[in-house]
Amino acid sequence: MCVQQLAGSGAPHIMVTMLRIERLRNDIAELSRLAATAQRRQLEAVQLARRWWDELPDAVDLRTHLEPLLQESAGMAPSWSGGVPATIAPPGEPVSRPITDLKGLIAIGVDGSQIFPDRHALALYYLIQVGAVIFRYNGGAPGVEVREWLHYKEEELFDEQDYLIGSEALGQERMIKEMEVLAELSATEYQGPDSPVLGLTDGPLLWPYVQRGRSTGEKLGTYMKALKSVQASGAIPVGYVDRPGGRPLLDMLWASRLAGEDLGEKWSENPLQPLDDEILMMHLLAPGEHTTWFTRPIPTNTRHAGAGQEIWFCYQRLDGPDQARGGHPTIARIEVPSWAVIGEAPLAPMHAMLLHQAEALDGYPYVLARAHEEALVTTLDKAALEQSIQRELFGAGIWARASDKARQKLLLGRR
Amino acid sequence: MPSTSKVIAIGNVLRADIRGFVIASRIPEPEVPTFGTFVRAPIQHDRAQLIGLVYDIRLQDDPFLRNLAVTVRSGDPAFDEIIADQRDNRVIPVEISVASVAYHYPDDPQCRYGLPPQPPMILHQITVCASEEVHRITRSPDFMRALLDNRDIPADELIPTALLRAAPLHAKAEYDFLLDAGRYLARNLGRDPARLERILQRIAWA
Repeated sequence: MCVQQLAGSGAPHIMVTMLRIERLRNDIAELSRLAATAQRRQLEAVQLARRWWDELPDAVDLRTHLEPLLQESAGMAPSWSGGVPATIAPPGEPVSRPITDLKGLIAIGVDGSQIFPDRHALALYYLIQVGAVIFRYNGGAPGVEVREWLHYKEEELFDEQDYLIGSEALGQERMIKEMEVLAELSATEYQGPDSPVLGLTDGPLLWPYVQRGRSTGEKLGTYMKALKSVQASGAIPVGYVDRPGGRPLLDMLWASRLAGEDLGEKWSENPLQPLDDEILMMHLLAPGEHTTWFTRPIPTNTRHAGAGQEIWFCYQRLDGPDQARGGHPTIARIEVPSWAVIGEAPLAPMHAMLLHQAEALDGYPYVLARAHEEALVTTLDKAALEQSIQRELFGAGIWARASDKARQKLLLGRR
Repeated sequence: MPSTSKVIAIGNVLRADIRGFVIASRIPEPEVPTFGTFVRAPIQHDRAQLIGLVYDIRLQDDPFLRNLAVTVRSGDPAFDEIIADQRDNRVIPVEISVASVAYHYPDDPQCRYGLPPQPPMILHQITVCASEEVHRITRSPDFMRALLDNRDIPADELIPTALLRAAPLHAKAEYDFLLDAGRYLARNLGRDPARLERILQRIAWA
């Protein structure tokens, strides 16, 4: 046990923890020292990246320059996974749009949560719950929808190798359900081009799972079908990635500096490694600005493209010009299907809508925060569900209870 | 007598003892029960129903709302939908405290006044009593006994509120109902005239 006196205004506050913090002091100090060193290296890399960004060639020339990597990407491994300009707009020029009138627009936020299957629970099951908030820009209260699925059959609980399904399989199913709910609600909400419908999901639109076995392929197919249903409804699906990791634009920047003959050998020796795209964007984008559209030539996106659902992305800075956030910019990666940018669909208000949504919640879209709240399966929800299952089993003459280990963990976890 | 036979669930039991229980609830603002509402909870493996009165409603800390409070400007049309969402849709985490007053068994028309043999179990669902049930419980002023004995609740406010809530349900005998209640209180609070006067005045002023 460790007793610490916390400094602060007012009376001293005593915190009691079970962790022996005093034994970790040296490690904590080392962690801070490494973080400071990394930050210094990042600042140096940012200077270089900004210079390269300003010197980017135009979109057509850059795409032509990157062509050998795209060929390699399509065939050989390990593949380059950098960004490629998706349109002819100058790739290095941020775009700023004034806040437009959003009247008539409909933003649907969708998010999901789950209870994982647990061998120690009183019954083997898993649950997926999807919450949606339909934010109509008409001055009224948004609509709220919640859907839930309880899975308990043996064929649903075990995978092809007879293992209990894990977080990846559940994540895939949840992603599909979110898109299906979005398609269902979009079909009801879309009334025509005067009332565009934008469907926001919390996370990437690009299928993030590596294909392993027949099951993953089938799930990707189901996901594509749901994306097509959203398209057919007239709505536009939008993937919102908060705190985006990855460095597709940094890889593109480095590749832009390499001579054509060096591309094949040197693309992986990127000196901008201390950075990721988010850090670079914090230095490049002014409040409210966004980049032009890029695409990533990775195998999953090729499969998306095969189904007419290639995913393009841009970065947007979501702290508006009027907001003071202590100097900390909010960068999000925005993903949409290519047809939404190329076609006649009214994508223009999307950036303004995102800015408005983020304004209320300090950089995160309100409609997604509320969708998460609606979707969330709380500890109390889980306890009530399990009590209901236990009652039903008891009625059927089955005395079900959680394992001793689970019950002990529950007791200890309450501390 | 107006009927409120629709079942309104307000939450689940969070903790309980013989004298009362606390409900954890996340319900929209219009559905939060008011002070003095009659509610019931299943006890003894659903063999009986415990009746209680809401005597405290605590809004829990809500960091989400705290965040909005500093960014959203009331009256600015840019935030109309968000404010409407908070008021009409969004669930408020509340703790509702209830004092036990009576219990009854389904096959027995008589109410048993006073404290129950067992408290309700954790996570059992609590519902608002229908007006027929409130009428039945308040037929005898004995429903006030457990409240008068409970020093941990604001009984002097709760009793008048409950009486005035129940009185219209005794449509043809509203005056007699309040008169009987007053006599009952006079008998039980004879040694505490100041408290008796305080309660009776609250009934009279209403």
